Amino acid sequence: MFSSAEHRTERTPIVNASNPLPTDYDTFRTSIRAFLREALTPELIRAGERTTSVFSDFEAGRQWQSILHARGWGAPEWPMEYGGTGWDIQQRYIFLEECKLASAPNPVMMGIQMLGPMLMHFGTEAQKTQFLPGIISGDDVWCQGYSEPGSGSDLASLKTTADRDGEDYVVNGTKIWTSMAHHSNWIFCLVRTDKNVKPQAGISFLLIDMATPGITVAPFPSLDGEVEQCQVFFENVRVPAANLLGDENQGWTVAKYLLEFERGGQHFTIELKKQLGKLQRAMKNPNSRAIDDPTYACRVAETEIDVMALEQTELRIKGSLSAGDNPGALSSLVKVSGTELGQRCAELLIEAAGQSAMPWQSEVLAPDYTGDTAAPAECVTTMAEYINSRATTIYGGTAEIQRGIIAKHVLGL
Amino acid sequence: MTAHMTEDQTMLKDAAERYLRDSYDFNQRRERIAGGVYSDPSQWQAFAEMGWLALPVAEEFGGLGLGTREMAILAELCGQFLVTEPLIDAMAAAQAILGIAQGRDQLLPLVAEGQLIPIAAIDEADTASRLTPATTLTQTAAGWHLSGAKHWISAGASATHLVVLAQGSEGLAWVLVPAAADGVECEAFPTHDGRGGINCRFDFALEAEQILLQGEPASKALEAYRTLAMTLSSAETLGATQAALDTTVDYTKQREQFGQPLASFQALQHRMSNMLIQTELTRSLIYAACNASDNGHDDAARFVRAAKVKAATVGRKVSQEAIQLHGGIATTDEYIVGHFFKRITALESWVCSKGEALKEFMALSPS
Repeated sequence: MFSSAEHRTERTPIVNASNPLPTDYDTFRTSIRAFLREALTPELIRAGERTTSVFSDFEAGRQWQSILHARGWGAPEWPMEYGGTGWDIQQRYIFLEECKLASAPNPVMMGIQMLGPMLMHFGTEAQKTQFLPGIISGDDVWCQGYSEPGSGSDLASLKTTADRDGEDYVVNGTKIWTSMAHHSNWIFCLVRTDKNVKPQAGISFLLIDMATPGITVAPFPSLDGEVEQCQVFFENVRVPAANLLGDENQGWTVAKYLLEFERGGQHFTIELKKQLGKLQRAMKNPNSRAIDDPTYACRVAETEIDVMALEQTELRIKGSLSAGDNPGALSSLVKVSGTELGQRCAELLIEAAGQSAMPWQSEVLAPDYTGDTAAPAECVTTMAEYINSRATTIYGGTAEIQRGIIAKHVLGL
Repeated sequence: MTAHMTEDQTMLKDAAERYLRDSYDFNQRRERIAGGVYSDPSQWQAFAEMGWLALPVAEEFGGLGLGTREMAILAELCGQFLVTEPLIDAMAAAQAILGIAQGRDQLLPLVAEGQLIPIAAIDEADTASRLTPATTLTQTAAGWHLSGAKHWISAGASATHLVVLAQGSEGLAWVLVPAAADGVECEAFPTHDGRGGINCRFDFALEAEQILLQGEPASKALEAYRTLAMTLSSAETLGATQAALDTTVDYTKQREQFGQPLASFQALQHRMSNMLIQTELTRSLIYAACNASDNGHDDAARFVRAAKVKAATVGRKVSQEAIQLHGGIATTDEYIVGHFFKRITALESWVCSKGEALKEFMALSPS
């Protein structure tokens, strides 16, 4: 069992993009590219290339976040006043695309993508001042405490309790699928504060310091043999009432707002286009099972057409976001098709790699690993990516939950 | 989800939708088709009066000179309302072939006014490829001669003129043949999608002005026609697909079994969610293909083929699901949903099949 990470008290000030970039998109892209060429070390690029899930090597991701933050790009999507860049939607998209193309590693983004917007929307001034700077700098690492062993898709049935005792809440219970909890020093949690009302109405949103006595983190390996997931246990954990986000029993509203950011803020086609590039290379690789196989080429072509359709749909959504609309249930549409297409690509890649993807060699995932690999270079992460792709239609609201949302909110069933 | 349209495009769509909702009743359509009238001349006149037939015709020839996107708006509505008049057929032939043909200054105003209904005749019974016709155009001492046969001309019975693809001495040629001309032998047949199809045999002398295009320009026109026809058939498929989905959603909300609406069963809800997801993805790709065509984008031909593959795949799946989710009622002729299914099936292979489009998409992909 790991003890929780040490709480850092030193904070770097919020940095704005001091040096505004040209808004002409081609020039913008060129300047992003120049920055990435300069800033990405071979180790960081290796960490990006050998990313097999949402998360890259933790230390590489953290280092990259601090580089971005120093440049003023720690959280491009945030409003300027909290350290955002003021880029428009297209510029933000270009930035993400270039980072992906340059194989930049993924920092742990739960704080920036999920908690940040909630704090800005529901937080008190004191909470914003206390938490936002540590999120954007990457000094604080946040994990998400939602699911429990008995509460997966039926999240509102959660049982972890927070009972008011003077100026504190006392938290008891357990959270699971808490990604990166073993690297985190804070956790945002959904907890039950009222057992006598309907489930959704008795939930509150608490911000908890992982260094608080009574918290135990138990990491466990995933199917690919790597450790990203944890179970977190709370035993009489005292949390100051000042760490309540939103009102007591308003947690479900806060969480729903957050889930929308989790789903709507994703651009699947950036990653999918990279996967298509790998499929094209697999078809030309003489060592691949896909070489000269017209049936394989047809399946790749149909997959590419589906990626084109998703990309155009993301652009349509981006258009309505620019016009001020909320992505709402459309983020469910994108999540379902983006994740299922990712699974299809991963499946085609494992088919092309065949037996050459079977060696399991954990050390190659370390960014400083420069030794030989048991699998051919292009197949080193193929199996792990295929394995981890199965989780994409489970986390962040299962594909079944998303289809339910579409049925209810779009079709009115 | 919004799909960006200009103010003019929105007006075109709203007016056309209002007209069809008021004047294109499904039951009247069924009775008309049962009476052997596949294309209603008064409808065609109304289309002309609303400017729909002027849409693909350049302004200098009395038209509106609008783009693929506008034609696709009408095509989508044709799918939604199961229009049997050959609107996408005539628009595609008028713009892509007649629009660059000799004599266009005479022909195009007649198209815009609704007096000339041109329909392309490409397919033949015994050629493996649609692109290398066995029908020939020859020049003898006596003049020009057209000889051969064309098959499976969808809505051919509604055409005033056939635009025939033939093999000439300088490559391909397009020839304009009045449907009622001497020397044209037509055999008509009703089709499953409510149209009057024909097979035609030609063996007769032509006037030189009937030869619309020859050689390189004729090949270019064939490519332009196929690209436009693929786009418009995808858009019509989309309209029919969306309508099949909407009909299914409405029906399952009303139909009760086991004491509750069908729509309350999760097994059915998720299938309808899939239908919606796929329909919206298809819509995005078709609109992108239209815009790529209208903006002369390098990748336009590739986008159009991608849209065709997607529309055909999704149209087939959604209309099959629509029948299954309805149950027995959908297998009757008097219920609308099966008619979307039939039209989608006919469109799948019209001018270019899904398989042909996929092959062309792959050939156009950068290697």
